[in-house]
Amino acid sequence: MPSPVISGSLLRLALLAVTTLILLVGLAFATTNAIAREAPIFLVAHPEVTTRWLNRDTTRAIFAMRQRTWPDGQAVRVFVLSNSNPVHARFAKEQLAAYPHQLQLAWDRMVFSGTGQAPDRVNDQEEMRERVATTPGAIGYLEREYLDDSVQVISME
Amino acid sequence: MIVSKSFRWNECRAIAALISGVVMGFSAHAQSDEHVLDTLQVHGFLSQALIITDDNNFFGHSSRDEGSFEFTEVGLNVSLRPHQDVLVAAQMLSRRAGGESSDVEPKLDYGLIDYQMVSNQQRTFGVQLGRFKNPFGFYNQTRDVAFTRPSILLPQSIYFDRTRSLGLSGDGVSLYHEERLATGVLRAQVGIGQAQAGEDLRSTLRLEDVPGTLDAKQSAIGQIRYEHDGGRIVAALSTAQAKARFDSSISEQTDVSFRFRPVVFSIQYNEELWSLTGEFALRPTKLGGVENRWVNDVTGESWYIQYARRFASEWQWLVRYDSLTSNRADRNGKSFEESTGGNVPAHTQFADDLTFGLQWTPHPQVMLAGEYHHVDGTGWLPIQDNPDSSATSRRWNMWLFQLSLRF
Repeated sequence: MPSPVISGSLLRLALLAVTTLILLVGLAFATTNAIAREAPIFLVAHPEVTTRWLNRDTTRAIFAMRQRTWPDGQAVRVFVLSNSNPVHARFAKEQLAAYPHQLQLAWDRMVFSGTGQAPDRVNDQEEMRERVATTPGAIGYLEREYLDDSVQVISME
Repeated sequence: MIVSKSFRWNECRAIAALISGVVMGFSAHAQSDEHVLDTLQVHGFLSQALIITDDNNFFGHSSRDEGSFEFTEVGLNVSLRPHQDVLVAAQMLSRRAGGESSDVEPKLDYGLIDYQMVSNQQRTFGVQLGRFKNPFGFYNQTRDVAFTRPSILLPQSIYFDRTRSLGLSGDGVSLYHEERLATGVLRAQVGIGQAQAGEDLRSTLRLEDVPGTLDAKQSAIGQIRYEHDGGRIVAALSTAQAKARFDSSISEQTDVSFRFRPVVFSIQYNEELWSLTGEFALRPTKLGGVENRWVNDVTGESWYIQYARRFASEWQWLVRYDSLTSNRADRNGKSFEESTGGNVPAHTQFADDLTFGLQWTPHPQVMLAGEYHHVDGTGWLPIQDNPDSSATSRRWNMWLFQLSLRF
């Protein structure tokens, strides 16, 4: 009679696996919620940019590299963190309603069809702040703790 | 020979236009803007595939033991913004997909000046001059860049190689518009220009050994695209017209005119981890100077449905069903076979392809992919790889592996 024993332990293993999975998924969900409650990410620009606010579609068009100037006509320079950076992922999701892989695909389609350029990459938020502060027409994003007077915050509709 | 000369002439013209554009941009803004060179970007890509088939050949002698390595794509592009509203961009492309080794000679893929004259919170509007890529379906503009494809091969019912050169790009002018609506974004593009007719079209028309010249005429393309809710739902309608003419230099062959007028409806639903994509195309083709009614006025039909799923952040798997019918009036190809006296098998008139694919991107600049195709029919099988259609098998299998790099 070895088979009932085996199937019994298999059942227990399966139950254990399902419970672990539920726990992990719950945990992941809880973590996501925790991140969502973290300090918001601000859209920032070079201090001399005259535009004070952008609507979401324009912001998305600028970060997707389809729109090359600010509404007042000044050339825009887009700065982003790497695709795998969690702040980049949060910015894409919360402010652009897009995912990093979708943005990357949009950039590749622009760059390799002659319809646009790739954004400028920065390694971390210190570099983001420094480049946005010193590049005319620059746009980027920062968490609250990285904000200072060297950049201006652009409000989003 | 004459065909390739006219290609080069077109390229010279496009490059000359490009250079004059850059020079104009520089001279107008030489004093006011020292940041022009800061906007210079150089990007490139390289893909190499291995293709193995049990029967039939795809992109080289793929049915031989060792398979075929004759699927290589290499591209290099530069772009520059000489003025805040102007983008100048050009790309050279070297591509081998079976055929002659001379095919790897780099060609100007696009070379254009893009002037975005309206750019505000409601809309953008611009014009492109030069050689521009045709926006046809979801994938045509970057069809040779592996990183923009969901699989190694795009669905061949729509993105097949047989008339590739004719639909790839136009030398002329293109206008684009983006309008932001309350619920989403509407984008439109129209272009008119001189199409190109390469050896692919010549062999598709079975004129590769006939003395004469094949020249492309004017082509037109239009696409309207709606992106709902940040791109969660994307729908597009594209239509094109391309014409070519073969001037025969022997009396046994009459002159042939060729007109291709495809329409494709595209739809995609995107979630964070998966995408569902479908495209449906009608492809009317007219041949003038050919008496065979199974060839001279035919409407083909193509469609596919594709599900792609991302997992573990660097991986994606995909399943797709793709179907091509060469002539809607003869779906099983039997009438066509009869009209050839049984010389050309019926299975050359359709292809149903079930594909499973896997992509791994261990680094943002490196991608490895593998896929399996089970195909019923040879409707999109390249003619140059299988010159004798009576020797092809109706049901065949194909495995592909590809390494892709970009910067």
